[in-house]
Amino acid sequence: MALKKKIKSKSMPDYSGMGLFHKKDLNIAILLIAVGCFLFYEATKFPPPGMILGDTINADVFPKILVVILIFLAAVIPFEFRFAGPKIKKIDKDREERIEPITWKTLAFLITIVLCSTFLGTILTMIATCLAFPIVWGERRYIAVAIYAMLFPLGVYLLFNKLLSLYFEPGLLKLFQ
Amino acid sequence: MDAIIQGFTMLFHVQNIFLIIGGVVIGVIVGALPGLSSPMAIALLLPFTIGLDPVAAISMMAALYCAGTFGGSITAILINAPGAPPAVATAFDGYPMAKKGQPGKALGLATIASVIGGIFSLIIFIFATPLLASIALKFGPVEYFGLAVFALSMLASMSGKSSIRNLIAGTIGVLLATIGVHLATGVERFDFGIEELSEGIHFVPVLIGLFAMSELLTQSQTLNAAVERMSAKTLKLPTWKELKVLKWNILRSSSLGTFIGILPAEGSTVAAMMGYNEAKRWSKTPEKFGTGCAEGIVAPESANNAAAGGAMVPTLALGIPGSGTTALILAALVMHGFKPGPYLITETPHLVYAIFGAMLIANFGFLGIGLVGAKVFSYVTFIPKRFLWPSVFVFSLIGSYSFSSSFFDVWVMLLSGIIGFFMMRNGFSPAPLVMGLILGPMVEETFTQAMVIHDSSFFQFFDSGVFIIFMVLTLISLSSPFWSDIAKLFKTKK
Repeated sequence: MALKKKIKSKSMPDYSGMGLFHKKDLNIAILLIAVGCFLFYEATKFPPPGMILGDTINADVFPKILVVILIFLAAVIPFEFRFAGPKIKKIDKDREERIEPITWKTLAFLITIVLCSTFLGTILTMIATCLAFPIVWGERRYIAVAIYAMLFPLGVYLLFNKLLSLYFEPGLLKLFQ
Repeated sequence: MDAIIQGFTMLFHVQNIFLIIGGVVIGVIVGALPGLSSPMAIALLLPFTIGLDPVAAISMMAALYCAGTFGGSITAILINAPGAPPAVATAFDGYPMAKKGQPGKALGLATIASVIGGIFSLIIFIFATPLLASIALKFGPVEYFGLAVFALSMLASMSGKSSIRNLIAGTIGVLLATIGVHLATGVERFDFGIEELSEGIHFVPVLIGLFAMSELLTQSQTLNAAVERMSAKTLKLPTWKELKVLKWNILRSSSLGTFIGILPAEGSTVAAMMGYNEAKRWSKTPEKFGTGCAEGIVAPESANNAAAGGAMVPTLALGIPGSGTTALILAALVMHGFKPGPYLITETPHLVYAIFGAMLIANFGFLGIGLVGAKVFSYVTFIPKRFLWPSVFVFSLIGSYSFSSSFFDVWVMLLSGIIGFFMMRNGFSPAPLVMGLILGPMVEETFTQAMVIHDSSFFQFFDSGVFIIFMVLTLISLSSPFWSDIAKLFKTKK
């Protein structure tokens, strides 16, 4: 029984010693409220509509209402664990798992590929992705990767460019045309 | 009658049949693969359907939606990893039955229950859609605004981890929809001097980012997770005798699923869980649930497939999506130039009947696929993640770029994916954001029209009885997720 309790307390966060706020949710709330305040300020700078429209239609009214709702809801988040404890415990369990280094590597890889895609063009970007992505994710069957990097982009090219007439940015391949 | 004939005639073109069957196959595959989902597949397909005949494109997506809901049960039963959230409840009894050495029987029960649930809801769909549309035709901007607010409030009870976070995500979605030129006044809003933003943020790259990219990042966390797989050699359909025992269970679950599907924002996942719980409550042998009993498989499967058909009713009749996936079908309708809502059935009734036909074909399609290719589809789960997800990324890249041949959209896709990943880690679901983004323009348009009619006096909205009803429903819907939490709080204090 004692062991069961111990396991339970290890697997689920305990809020008994928690203060008034949930710290992680407080950070999220601050971020959302800051964004909300900034957007509200931006909305105050919208120019008034033309005279012909009078006062009935204003471009800022609707976004301002939304921002106020957003700020109000965001302000509730840090206290949510008080009335919806089990749900927040599940969320806490998820975010307690640290983000693996591979996820950061993937993120960096995706940003690099998107940056390069502007000059590589569609076909070369596809080949580069299919060649590098599995290796970034730890694939060591290089022949399989090479076959995949040739066949998959070819299939996509034939299906979407040739069959469905989708425009593919030539990029670097322009030099060889 | 003419519209029915026209709708079915359009459907029975070779190309359209081919696309529908393609939609079914893609649906079953993405449904079966853990991590891939039908909303993601529809989001990825959306930009590629621009060149297709609109009826064919929408029919294909509707078929994919139906098949995707069923596909999730394959992996739920065989590897205890539901391919899609609606199949979570199927795993409770499906996997134990497969472990007992009856994977074919478990798949057969899931297939037949899915088909019955799907067809049941389609019958309701074909009668309820015109009926609901005829009521909605009487709505003015005030009533429509009330309905849209009610639909957004339903996000609170949408399947997700936290009601407040669902509402925040929905609000952010509506806020995103306000970016760009305000059509009524011509004022540019929140564009921060970026030229591309003056046209607004298009939903397609956002959808691809939220559904595909964020999932890709999530999957990178579990690259080396081992799963125990079971292969089903053949699918074994239940006998007539077995079905007779289960008939009331299937009927009850189908009705429940259809009803839940019709409710705005409530999707197949909620329907499946409720179907399972109700089946257990009504069962003479509730203690057998969780050990691999047939009742525990047919209830969630008939409920989640019935919800798929039910969710199409508000989507087509009111322009209010019944679930996250139907929000994407709504987006597809808008993209192909249709105006979802009551005018869809008065102006283009053939489309509604074509969708009905496509979903009907899809239901029989996955029965056939299940019978012939259960073994093949069980192998789908063997595709290595290290090759599967780079392919998803390639499709995301091409899909977001090809939509308007702009690299800005590719960045929007990537950024949405990164934001989506961190949102999901903190309990925010992407589906409410998508619904907010898609419903946003309609909410603002009806709000502006109503304000003009009532001389900028919001309180005059309450002159409409229908608006008051929607506001009362909104209050109930907003507060309902907290009832049980608050009740528990009081109980523990006592």
